[in-house]
Amino acid sequence: MRFEQSQVLPEQIFQVTRADLVRYAGASGDFNPIHWSERFATSVGLPGVIAHGMFTMALAGQAVAVWAGTGDAIVDFGVRFTRPVPVPDTDEGTDISFTAVVKAADADFATLELTAVCRGEKVLAQARAKVKQF
Amino acid sequence: MSRILEETDRLKALGWCGERVARDPVNQPMINNWVEAMGDTHPAYREGLAPPAMVQVWTMRGLHPAPQPDDPLHAMSAVLDEAGFTSVVATNCEQTYHRALKVGELLTVRSRLSDVVGPKKTSLGVGWFVTTESTWFSGEEPVATMLFRILKYQPRPQAAAASPITPVVSRDTAFFWEGTAAGQLRIQRCEACGRLRHPPGPMCPACGATSMGFVVSEGAGTVYSYVVHHHPPVPGKRLPFVVALVELPEGVRVLGEFLGESVEIGRPVRCTFVRVGGFHLPAWEAAA
Repeated sequence: MRFEQSQVLPEQIFQVTRADLVRYAGASGDFNPIHWSERFATSVGLPGVIAHGMFTMALAGQAVAVWAGTGDAIVDFGVRFTRPVPVPDTDEGTDISFTAVVKAADADFATLELTAVCRGEKVLAQARAKVKQF
Repeated sequence: MSRILEETDRLKALGWCGERVARDPVNQPMINNWVEAMGDTHPAYREGLAPPAMVQVWTMRGLHPAPQPDDPLHAMSAVLDEAGFTSVVATNCEQTYHRALKVGELLTVRSRLSDVVGPKKTSLGVGWFVTTESTWFSGEEPVATMLFRILKYQPRPQAAAASPITPVVSRDTAFFWEGTAAGQLRIQRCEACGRLRHPPGPMCPACGATSMGFVVSEGAGTVYSYVVHHHPPVPGKRLPFVVALVELPEGVRVLGEFLGESVEIGRPVRCTFVRVGGFHLPAWEAAA
């Protein structure tokens, strides 16, 4: 799609379960035990097993790809991981919601500012994606 | 700390490290695994296009990485591990994709240490922010760059692992703690007028005598009142916990933790003893 200045993009919600984290650990090669061991995660001061930051970031990237309508639109993508995303050991796991506003748009590129919310709290800050216009 | 700063300077001065070659070329099975983890069904990823956010994946080092003394993030992490900053969370990531990657390309990565900032107090504990930059190449061509910042932190001691608070023993209370160690709940009794009192004190509030003895309670009573303690944290205790004030048929009330599931006023309880830091503290459990 072609993005327009100030456009508000529709919310996308992703469900994240422990199984997703296990799958992602293997698929990404990030085996930090805070992402799969409750015992380890709580022993280092975390609320429990948390999602990989890069997993949350990639979900945001996927949301951008859906809004853009193509998988190779993103040129630049940056986030700050402000809060961990705890994933409880339940069938439902947790949900992350993504929304975005188009901050700037010209003929070639658009800049989206994303908001990612998990359990009522923003889990990313300064989440900006620059995408090619098609 | 000086070791951390020295190593920071040394690694920064080294600049870009030597290239590290990806274990496997960009390949469809790894893409399939990754998009399955992401729940991403974009059709182009089925046909040889690699998701841009996968770029770091191609050069990850697996479950049992070999030591890499010239890799700046690895070297810096080792120094911080030694200094006790053993835990890691990612705090920032910025990626720039110069072009899409296709199945068959073999990537290499080069990294450099750009900054180390600390020690900083964070909600997780005291730690250092380590920032690295990486560039991925396909052949000679740079295809993506990344700024990556992690927090290496010293986990704060857990409340449950901290040393618990133990009672202070005085001349007036020594008999009580000797009693709990022997499995007895002792109640102070005035030797002059026979009045019972708890907690123990030096002088009888009824007759003013200072000659004190004790009786041994049956250890059965009912909950007179209770509080559920949620905050603040108590060293050595897992929150929340219940403190019950138990009325004994002997005529005094005794405080202690209630160990059962459901507490209510009037519930019959019996005394048990919990070992804490060399002491035996009276506690209450529901009477059968």
